[in-house]
Amino acid sequence: MPLPESMSRIVVVGTKTSLEEAVEAFYSVKVLHVIDHTAGADDMSLGTPFHANLKASERLLKVRAMEKELGIGKNTETARVPVTEIKSQISSGSVEDVEAEILEVLDVKNDLNRRITELNAKMKSLELLAAIPVDLELYSGYKSLAVIAGSVESDPSEALKTLADSESFVSFKKKKGGVAAVFVRAEDRDKAASILSEHGFVETMVPEGKGPVSEALVLAGESLADLNAKLGSVEKEVEALQLKHKTFLCASDEELSIEIEKGEVPLRIAVGKHSYILDAWIPTAKVQAVTAELESRLGNDVHVECEETRGRNLHEEEEAEERFKKVPTKHNNGLIAKEFEHATNLVAVPKYQEIDPSILIMFFLPLFFGFMIGDCGYAIPFIIIGAYGLKVTRHKDWRAIATVLFFGGIWSFIFGFFFFGEALGMHFIGHWDAPMAMTWEGLLGIQLPDWFGGMMIDGHGVSKLEGHVVMLLKLTVYIGIIHIMIGYVCGYLNVRRQHNNKHAFLEKGGWIIQFIGMVVFCYAMTQVLFSRVDMEGMVLYLLIIGIVLLLAGLSVNIKSEGGKAALELPGVIGMILSYTRLAAIGMSKAGMAMAFNYIVFGMFMGMMDAVVWPEWYIMIPCLLMLAFLHFVVWTLGILSAGLHALRLQFVELMTKFFVGGGTRYEPLKIKRFKTFLTKTETDREV
Amino acid sequence: MALEGEAAGLAAIGAGLAVGLTGIGAGMGEKDVGAAAVGAMTEDRSIFGTAMIFMVIPETIVIFGLVVAIIALFALG
Repeated sequence: MPLPESMSRIVVVGTKTSLEEAVEAFYSVKVLHVIDHTAGADDMSLGTPFHANLKASERLLKVRAMEKELGIGKNTETARVPVTEIKSQISSGSVEDVEAEILEVLDVKNDLNRRITELNAKMKSLELLAAIPVDLELYSGYKSLAVIAGSVESDPSEALKTLADSESFVSFKKKKGGVAAVFVRAEDRDKAASILSEHGFVETMVPEGKGPVSEALVLAGESLADLNAKLGSVEKEVEALQLKHKTFLCASDEELSIEIEKGEVPLRIAVGKHSYILDAWIPTAKVQAVTAELESRLGNDVHVECEETRGRNLHEEEEAEERFKKVPTKHNNGLIAKEFEHATNLVAVPKYQEIDPSILIMFFLPLFFGFMIGDCGYAIPFIIIGAYGLKVTRHKDWRAIATVLFFGGIWSFIFGFFFFGEALGMHFIGHWDAPMAMTWEGLLGIQLPDWFGGMMIDGHGVSKLEGHVVMLLKLTVYIGIIHIMIGYVCGYLNVRRQHNNKHAFLEKGGWIIQFIGMVVFCYAMTQVLFSRVDMEGMVLYLLIIGIVLLLAGLSVNIKSEGGKAALELPGVIGMILSYTRLAAIGMSKAGMAMAFNYIVFGMFMGMMDAVVWPEWYIMIPCLLMLAFLHFVVWTLGILSAGLHALRLQFVELMTKFFVGGGTRYEPLKIKRFKTFLTKTETDREV
Repeated sequence: MALEGEAAGLAAIGAGLAVGLTGIGAGMGEKDVGAAAVGAMTEDRSIFGTAMIFMVIPETIVIFGLVVAIIALFALG
C-alpha cells in the first residue's frame, strides 16, 4: 500500500549577502518545504523582508486598487506576458504612469457620479413640491416667517387650520400620500411642526432657485440627461482603459505578488550577522539533485547538508526536536489515484506514517458508484461528461467530480451490461409485459442474437426489483466484508509500521479476529434462521468457530482498550449491513425508472400487453417527457450514488485505519497564470 | 417458507412500517446533524468532508429498515 513520499530534512547555510540570490534558487528547485524558524531557539533571529518589498507592496496596492476600479478580476482573460518584460515595465515606472492615466478618467467619473446623485436628490424634492402652487424663491428669504415643507402620510389640512396667522398648502391623495408647505410666524414653527408630525411628516429641504417648481424640474431633468450622457462617454473611456491595461495590470499583480512572497522568505528562516540557515523538508529522492542545483547556483556561498531521512516509526518523531517532529505529507500516487487525493484531503491530510487511502478510494469509489447506478443508459452520459470534465477543468473540486463520473460511468456500464443487462431501467432481453417486464427487445420488436444475451448473467441479467433481490443483498454484504477487512488490514499494517507487531496485534489484531468471528457466526446463524438448516455438521462447527474467534478477539480488545470494547460489538453487524445500501440505492433507481417507463409507455402510449406505437404527434411529446423523467433519475443518481459511495469510503473503510492530521506539503513554488518564464529560465529546474 | 393469506398481508404491513418508521427516525437524526453541519460550514468550508460524514451517518438506520422489509417480503413472504 502506498505511503506518502519519503522525506529528508536538509539544512542550507549561506552568506547573508547572497540571500536574495539564494531565495531565487530555493524557488527554482520547487521542492523545499520550509521549516519555520522559531525565534530564540539559538543565536540566530528571524530575518527581515527584502528592502525592495516596500516599494513592491506600494505598487501592488495601487495595481489592486486600479483592478477593482476597472472591474478586473482573477478570471479576466488576458494574454500572458514574459516575466522579463513585465519586470522591466514595473521597474521603469509603468505602474505609476498607468495609475495617473486611469485616475484622471476615474476622477471625472466620480465627479459626474456625485453630481448625478445630488441632482437626483434635488429632482426628488422638486417632484414632491410640484403639487404646491408656490414659486421656489418664495420658500426662503424671510426674517419673521418660518417655512416648513415636506411629505405627509395623512391629510393635515383640518389640523393646520388651528394655526393663527398662517398659510398652508396641502396636496393629498389617499394612495400616494401627500405634500404640505406651511408658512407661519417664526415663533409658531414648533407648534406647526408638532401638528404635522402627527400626520407622518418628513421635512424636505427646498432646493434653491427661482420661478415655478415645474420649470425648475424641467431644467434639472435636462441637466441630469446631460450629465448621464457625459457619464456614458466617460464609462466608455473606462472600458477602453480596461481593455488597454488589463494585461499589464494582471501580469504586474502576479509579478508583484511573487516578488513580495519571495521577499518575505527571510521572515521564516534564521538570519544572523553574516549568515542565514534554512531548514527544509524535501522528498528523499530529490536530495542529491537539489544539493547539486543549489551548489551550482550559489557556488561557494552555500553549504547544503542532509540531516536525516525520516522513517515511519513513531519513536523517530518522538525523539525529534519540537519543530522537526511533524513531517509534511507529499502524496505518492500515480496518475489516476492522484485525482482521488482531493477526496482523502476532504477528511484530513494523511499522516506521514500512515497509508494514503487515495488508491483504495480510486478503486472502490467508482466501483460502488457504478454498482449503484448499474445501467448502461445512465452510464454513457456519465462517461462523456466525466471525460469532458477531465479534459477541460483544472479546478481540483471539479476534477475530482469528473474523475468519479468517468470511472464510475465505466463501472456502471460494465455492471449495467454484463451483470444487470439493462439500459434506462429496461432489460435488453425478454418479452414485453408492462409494468414488470418491459424490455428493449419487446419495445423495438426485435430479436437480439443469442451471443448478445450470452454475455449477461443468466442470459438476460439480474433483476433489481424481483427474483434476485435477496441475492443482491447477500452480494453487497460480501462486498462489505471484503471492504471492511481491507480497512482492518491497512490499520494493522499502519500500527505495525508505526510501532511493532505486538502493538499492532493488540490494537488491530483483536478487531480483525473479532470481525472474522462475527462474520462466521452470522453466516451460521442465517443458515439456521433463514435457510432452515439444522444446527449440525458444518453449520455447528462454523457456529462454534465463530463464537471462539469472537470471544478471542473480544478478549484481546478488552485487554488493550478496556471494557468499552465490548460495547462496540453490535456495531460490527451494523457496519456490514450498511453495505446493503449498494443494493438498496440500485433498487430505488430501478424502481423509479420502471415507474417512469410505465407511465410513458404503458399509461400514455397505451402499450400495456403489446407494443403498438401511437401516432407521431402523441409519440414525440411522450418521448420528450420520458427523456425529462430519466434525466431526473440520472441527476438523483449522481447525488445519492455519489454521496453513499463516498460515505462508505469515509465512514466504513477509512475509520478502520486512517487517522489523518498530517501537515500539507507546501514547497516554495511559484505558479504563474498571467506571466511566463522563457525557455532558458524554465530549463533550470531540478 | 412462503407466507400466505393474512400472514403475507401482515408481513407487507410490517415491511412498510420498517421502512417508514426508520425513514422518520433517519430524518429526525439528519435534521439536527444537517442544520448544525450547514451552520458550521458557513464558518469554515474546509470541514465539508467531516460534515458530510456526520450528515450521512443517520441514513444507515433506514437501510436497516429496508433490509428488514426485504427479508419480510422476499425471504419470508
